[in-house]
Amino acid sequence: MTAPLILGIETSCDETGVAVLEGFNVRSFVLASQTEEHARFGGVVPEVAARAHVEAIRPLVHQALASAGVHPDQLDAVAATRGPGLIGALMVGYAFAKSLAWTLGKPLYGIDHMEGHLYAPRLEFEEYRPPAIVLLASGGHSQIIHVREWGDYETLGTTIDDAAGEAFDKLARFLGLGYPGGPVIDAESEHGDPKAVAFPRALRDRPFDFSFSGLKTSVITYLEKAKVDGTLPPRADVAASIQEAIVDVLVEKTFNAVEETGVNAVGGGGGVLANRRLRSRLREEADRRGVDLFIPSIEMCTDNGAMVAAVAVDRLSNGAPPDDWGADVDPSMRLGS
Amino acid sequence: MKILAIETATPASSVALGSGGTLEAMSVRVDRRGHVGFLMPAIDFCFEQTGWNQHDIDAVAVDVGPGPFTGIRAGIATAQAFAAGVGAPVIAVSSLTVQALRAATGRRRIWSVVDMRRGQVAVAPYRPLPGGVAPDGSAEVLGAEEFRAVLDTDEADTLVVGDWQALPEAMWGGLHRVRRGRPRYPSADVMLEIAAIRAAHGDYVAAEDLRPDYMREPDVQINWKTFRSEGLWP
Ligand SMILES: [Zn+2]
Repeated sequence: MTAPLILGIETSCDETGVAVLEGFNVRSFVLASQTEEHARFGGVVPEVAARAHVEAIRPLVHQALASAGVHPDQLDAVAATRGPGLIGALMVGYAFAKSLAWTLGKPLYGIDHMEGHLYAPRLEFEEYRPPAIVLLASGGHSQIIHVREWGDYETLGTTIDDAAGEAFDKLARFLGLGYPGGPVIDAESEHGDPKAVAFPRALRDRPFDFSFSGLKTSVITYLEKAKVDGTLPPRADVAASIQEAIVDVLVEKTFNAVEETGVNAVGGGGGVLANRRLRSRLREEADRRGVDLFIPSIEMCTDNGAMVAAVAVDRLSNGAPPDDWGADVDPSMRLGS
Repeated sequence: MKILAIETATPASSVALGSGGTLEAMSVRVDRRGHVGFLMPAIDFCFEQTGWNQHDIDAVAVDVGPGPFTGIRAGIATAQAFAAGVGAPVIAVSSLTVQALRAATGRRRIWSVVDMRRGQVAVAPYRPLPGGVAPDGSAEVLGAEEFRAVLDTDEADTLVVGDWQALPEAMWGGLHRVRRGRPRYPSADVMLEIAAIRAAHGDYVAAEDLRPDYMREPDVQINWKTFRSEGLWP
């Protein structure tokens, strides 16, 4: 059987992503980012996101098909994120995908966004395969997942409060660095000393879980006190110290999971994986332990349509039943349930 | 001229197939949520009833609002994908006009009302014509008191239609020239009549211009504490 042609649509948060895959080969990859539209609010505003998706979706699908040189009738399936995410945003992509699939007489696959992230490294690394530990971290999620087999996932750790990306966003706001927090803290940290301030690393007693709200409180308390005392260090030092505290925890917990499961492969996905310090620390730790590391390019780490289509490649090949035409989005979808 | 009409602007969702403005099949459901779950099975049902094929469709009509936004976007995304899939043009219809046309039986001036939630309604006046209605002013989003003030100054005998039940009962006291009536919600069968006329005039909307008629800025609520660093670093 030749590799199937699949259109993938992702609209769970603030990126409208569309791609065409031929098997695990990316034929086209287009994206409309709303970062600037949300920047003035300092975070993703659900209604603003949904408005942008409904304007972007049709032109992007057209562009993805055209640049792949694929006529809609040639598609073998249509895939779209069904959850988790913002309900109004999910509805746009899923309704569009469903209607297109029905009209073309093709199967529709509603995909779990998190499973999309788990599949993304497959589009760049042929050797990436289960069993693996995957760190997923973004503004909306922070999880450590044990991929036992494709379709068989165990969530080992999760955040008990803020997602890692949310912590970056909130602290960047507090430092007056703007939005989105990950990239601006990354840039500010470049000339800072990560050891300048020893912020706490939370949940040392829970090997795979995260907590970032304590860090937030401690940064705010520290800065307010330092200001009164006149001992305020340069902003770059504070930024680098915050980044180090978050990265430390993410790296430590990821490799705790590697140790616990004895797997030999680590993957990653989500916007926080764009952080350069995190990428290099994961690389160092993987090399030190002789573990294979599969962190895809930044555009494949952040939300996109290709990762959604990638999951459907397997679904279709395995003969999995497509979504019912009466299916709806599921904003609180949980991987493996 | 075969038309598919998609209506999701209010809690009443409906889908209809018609030829030349005449209804051939229709499916309706009243539910605040679940537009996405309703639409495709409803479309599927209508095609099954008529025995038509999706490629028979000459135009897709969609209600672009005003109305609560989430459902409208589901309808628009569905209409856009259908239209793209079969290469048909799209006709954009107003929910206020659909309600007014359904109500147009007498000589009263019509105020069409759609609930926008949060204590506001979208309203627009229409004047009855033989066999139809014509807009008689522009659409606005108003609170109950503002709408009452508008009705107070209206000299004509008036019929208010749409979801006026969303407004407080007290606002209607002493409005002797105002009568309240049906329909409560817009529906896809009426859209077919409008769409047939529009199609005859080639009055289509370019795919890139098709978007909801929001009539209100997005709700922006960031619940984070507004941390400020001003004064921390000079
Ligand atoms: Zn994501």
